[in-house]
Amino acid sequence: MSNDQDRIVTLQLNAQMSFLPIAVQCVETVAKAFGLGREESLKLGLATEEIFSYLSGKVCRGQILDIRCVNCISYVRVEFRFPVSVLDMGALNIAAAVSCENEDDMAQMGLVLASRSVNRLYISEERKNHICLKIEKDKHYPPVQEITVAPVAVKGALTVGTPDADGIKLYVTRVARGSSHMPRPHYFQYPGQVVDMVAAGDCQVLTATDSRGECAGGVLFHFLKASIIEVFGPHVFDPAREEEIAGMLLDACIAGTVRTKAIGLLNLTGMPSFLQSQFEHLGLMKNYSHDGEAVDRSAFYRLLHEDPGCRVFTDLVLKDYLQREYKRLFLAREIREVCDQGETHTGASIFSADLYRERSVAILNPLWPGADLDANVNNHLRFLKEEGIINIFFTLDLGVSWQASLMTVLMNNHFQPALIIPFAGQADLLIFQYDRTEP
Amino acid sequence: MIEPNLDYLVPAYVREFEPYIPSKPDPELQKLYGCNHLYRLNNNENPLGPPPGAQEVIRRFPPPRGAIYPSGDSYYLRREIAACYGIDPDQVLVGNGANEVITFVIKAFCEQGDNIITADKTFAVYEWVAVFSGIETRIIPLKHERFDDRAMLAAIDEATKVIFICNPNNPTGTYWSWDTLKNFLDEVGGKQIVVVDEAYFEFVEAGDYPDGMSLLNDYPNLIVFRTFSKMYGIAGLRIGYLAGDLKVVDMIRRTCVVYSVNGLAQEAALACLRDETGHIRRTRELVRESKVFLSAEMAAMGLPVIVGEGNYLIVKLPGSDTLAYRKLMHEGIMIRPMTGFRYPNHIRVTLARMEAMKAFVAALKKILA
Repeated sequence: MSNDQDRIVTLQLNAQMSFLPIAVQCVETVAKAFGLGREESLKLGLATEEIFSYLSGKVCRGQILDIRCVNCISYVRVEFRFPVSVLDMGALNIAAAVSCENEDDMAQMGLVLASRSVNRLYISEERKNHICLKIEKDKHYPPVQEITVAPVAVKGALTVGTPDADGIKLYVTRVARGSSHMPRPHYFQYPGQVVDMVAAGDCQVLTATDSRGECAGGVLFHFLKASIIEVFGPHVFDPAREEEIAGMLLDACIAGTVRTKAIGLLNLTGMPSFLQSQFEHLGLMKNYSHDGEAVDRSAFYRLLHEDPGCRVFTDLVLKDYLQREYKRLFLAREIREVCDQGETHTGASIFSADLYRERSVAILNPLWPGADLDANVNNHLRFLKEEGIINIFFTLDLGVSWQASLMTVLMNNHFQPALIIPFAGQADLLIFQYDRTEP
Repeated sequence: MIEPNLDYLVPAYVREFEPYIPSKPDPELQKLYGCNHLYRLNNNENPLGPPPGAQEVIRRFPPPRGAIYPSGDSYYLRREIAACYGIDPDQVLVGNGANEVITFVIKAFCEQGDNIITADKTFAVYEWVAVFSGIETRIIPLKHERFDDRAMLAAIDEATKVIFICNPNNPTGTYWSWDTLKNFLDEVGGKQIVVVDEAYFEFVEAGDYPDGMSLLNDYPNLIVFRTFSKMYGIAGLRIGYLAGDLKVVDMIRRTCVVYSVNGLAQEAALACLRDETGHIRRTRELVRESKVFLSAEMAAMGLPVIVGEGNYLIVKLPGSDTLAYRKLMHEGIMIRPMTGFRYPNHIRVTLARMEAMKAFVAALKKILA
């Protein structure tokens, strides 16, 4: 879509219950106009109802609330922007309901209920005491067809380029119907969704075609963070020329991203072994499934530019770990130790929770410090377990000094450091994974 | 306090542009990487430094002159350059490094909706300036490591204003011959501005390499860039220039910020042009010797090289170039990883003194072992 005006509808109103029907009606109507089906629109309306009630009652009663609906083509996003006083910020923890004395009080469950009706929910602090809460609902797409895909025998010279809609669908179908055990995002089951994602600029696809126009392979990539691009693939459909095809696709992916805002490429879903030497192995994360099986996932990374070095903060508990990891990765870091020297901590901490229910994944990020870090981590763990989320991660920005105080708290709550993603935050991000073998 | 709405105030093409982050100063890098020395093989600097006359100018620059504005348009230097090439001083514009004259040209000729044409694997600044000015950049892939003249001509349309050719190309060292350049200019037919960036002109020894300055009279749409940063070794003073047709340069002058070139740089550049001590010969000998040495060493290690004109060569590594950069930094060697030039897994190495070349080879062997 070329014109932002065509894809955004905004509503500004007071956060008071009498305006609830306006907010809900607006979101439902806009969702339908933006192409969501009836069921998805109703669910987005339901989530809006829960969030609006919660904000009006607990968080920013009587304050100006901006609601922005965005047509992201493959999904609709609703953004709630509001001011919040320090005293009320604790209520923004998605696990706040868990800490209530009376857990039957449904009014406390607003964010939880909302999260159940949508595909993704994010909270972030855009500026001091100004919060943005986003919910996203995907459009419904037919799954990939149950067809047998004939093997490809590539002929002649290969060219890499941006495919048209049919080319994207063919690539996605081949990946979905192929025999590769490489894990992939759920949208690889929905070719039409990937076409829409490309049209919206949410991701890019490059394919390699032979002299007859046969699709020999492809790669999909998108911005995961402001300066990190996540790469899926390269996927190769003719094993006889695997190295050549994968190499061309990766080179084209790098050429297309190297002069953007990206600092690094990240691959969390595996890649052909012969390409791994072009990347650095950051570490392993476990991917648990509901049947209890755990699969190790390697994280591969490559910087696109020189490492300018930076300062990172740590608690003593992880100083050795960081020194070891930075030495292994040859990253130049000034590691500065921070420690509690008896200063007073007040108020409630806030963690944002990115929930990806289709993958049973939660990623917690600290937004605001407080005196209750341990209790808040515990609350989130209880909440996520009750919600059936089995892959729980916690990210710390090593460039933000106060976040280092969470290291001991996380370790005491059975989180383990899994890997460092360079420059994924103000400095590097340290990813912790919750150890499910612990009670 | 009300914060400015940067989404509204800043054009999208600026917001989306990732600013280039230059390397930290050497002492900071040495501290970060834990090395007690640093061979700078990343920026194609001349290890011999400036010619003796320019060194003398720098040494004797009177401190009180620091309070005096320089010539706003590099008056004497333009006259000297013009005398060297038999052109009018007003055909010359001096800038704070060649980077600044790139900006002058794009500002003078391009507006939103226009495009420029250049190559994918070349000096990045043409592309950067166009992108953060909201000008479309048409990136034409190199063919056999050379600028692809046919593809560049085919990419021209009504909105094309400027074509940038780096000759010899940084980083491949390939170049267009007299015939190729003249045929290209003939086919463009004066409809677009053709910039030939000759930053490495003085290093080239090949007989069929064209001197863009000698073509200015025949092609009024031709602009030639030169710099004092490479062969003349005054990169730290930031000074470069462009030359072109009188009317064309008069247009570019309108976008040129006067007083951007400091007085010391102007005087040192004058001394560079007047050098009669054989600075260019000495530098070429050093580059030749290092090129032969390094090519042989890389061949012995089984590492392919891309080597041509200029004081640099490219080495293809078996793995990530950005990782190699970090490993080499720990050994006190700073090279240029080439991913940013769209050559992933390649590094560019400045051809420098033998001591530095040997240190580089030893460090490379160590990190690849």
